[in-house]
Amino acid sequence: MKLIKDQETNSGMPRTEIEIDAMDRILAAEEELVPSSGFVAAAMERVREEAAVPAPIPFPWKRAVPGLVLAAGVLGWGAWAAVRFAWPALHEFAKSSPQIPVAAVPALEEAGWVVLALAVSLGSWMLSMRLMRRSGMM
Amino acid sequence: MTIDAIDLSDVGRVLAGDTDAFEGIVRRWQRPLVNMAWRYCRDRARAEEMAQEAFVRAWRGLAGWRRESSFSTWLFALAANVYRSELKRFPTVDVPLEEIAEPASPANQYEAAAEQRRHEVLRRAVLALPMRYREPVVLYYFHEMDVGAAARTMGLPEGTVKARLARGRELLRKRFPHLNETGAQGANAALRTGREALR
Repeated sequence: MKLIKDQETNSGMPRTEIEIDAMDRILAAEEELVPSSGFVAAAMERVREEAAVPAPIPFPWKRAVPGLVLAAGVLGWGAWAAVRFAWPALHEFAKSSPQIPVAAVPALEEAGWVVLALAVSLGSWMLSMRLMRRSGMM
Repeated sequence: MTIDAIDLSDVGRVLAGDTDAFEGIVRRWQRPLVNMAWRYCRDRARAEEMAQEAFVRAWRGLAGWRRESSFSTWLFALAANVYRSELKRFPTVDVPLEEIAEPASPANQYEAAAEQRRHEVLRRAVLALPMRYREPVVLYYFHEMDVGAAARTMGLPEGTVKARLARGRELLRKRFPHLNETGAQGANAALRTGREALR
């Protein structure tokens, strides 16, 4: 009978051999289950069913590659054109900074604090759930 | 011819397209896989269903076996994955460990039967452990108390499995503090019964 030698009890004393033996012997002395007589047939039937299903049709990469390259080219060109035309407009927009009414500033500040508090609460809840899962409490 | 060689030969035939050759693998490994599943759920019908699912997944994934480990190691690891995910989808009836009562001391005339019941309660209590401790306990005893084999089946380092095993056993010991007082004699008898059944 093997023992786990590096285990200690709560009091810091090493676990006695009898303690380990009692639990080990009970848990190790499991009577063996004999599979039912139809088990092999049932398992093989399922395997044969799987084998009968035709293999999935592979993706036609050879045919798709030109189309994919063309699509990537069009998208790339579109993105380049969008940036090219949008850049000056963005520049103009940045120059005329948006006006926020003075009365709205305190309300916006409060809203910012509320959002921060919600984010911190969510973060601490997620952390505690994670710790509980790690410690096996869930 | 060793079992490994027979497995290899059958795997080769299956990969060459002979589905019937898989029957040999099912015949050889049905007992271990059903018994392993039984230890995960302690429900005979469900254990057989889970073992069947494991064989189907093994058949599907046979080409992916890289022969770095023995066939049995690969098969057990695959089965453990299947059982774990099956139990996640449909958990066993979870009774919290704290709610499992330790049976009272048995009366003399029913001692043997009562001892058997005590042992069954302890075995079922394993299912009440959190999964991260339950699996190492299940696999450690399934592999006849071989931490290395349990670790390979779980795909975890031995140290991790050892630590989780220690914690799982500690939880069980807290739940069954009187185990040693009456467990030792009855446990020996149970071990003998179990060994005889295995012969």
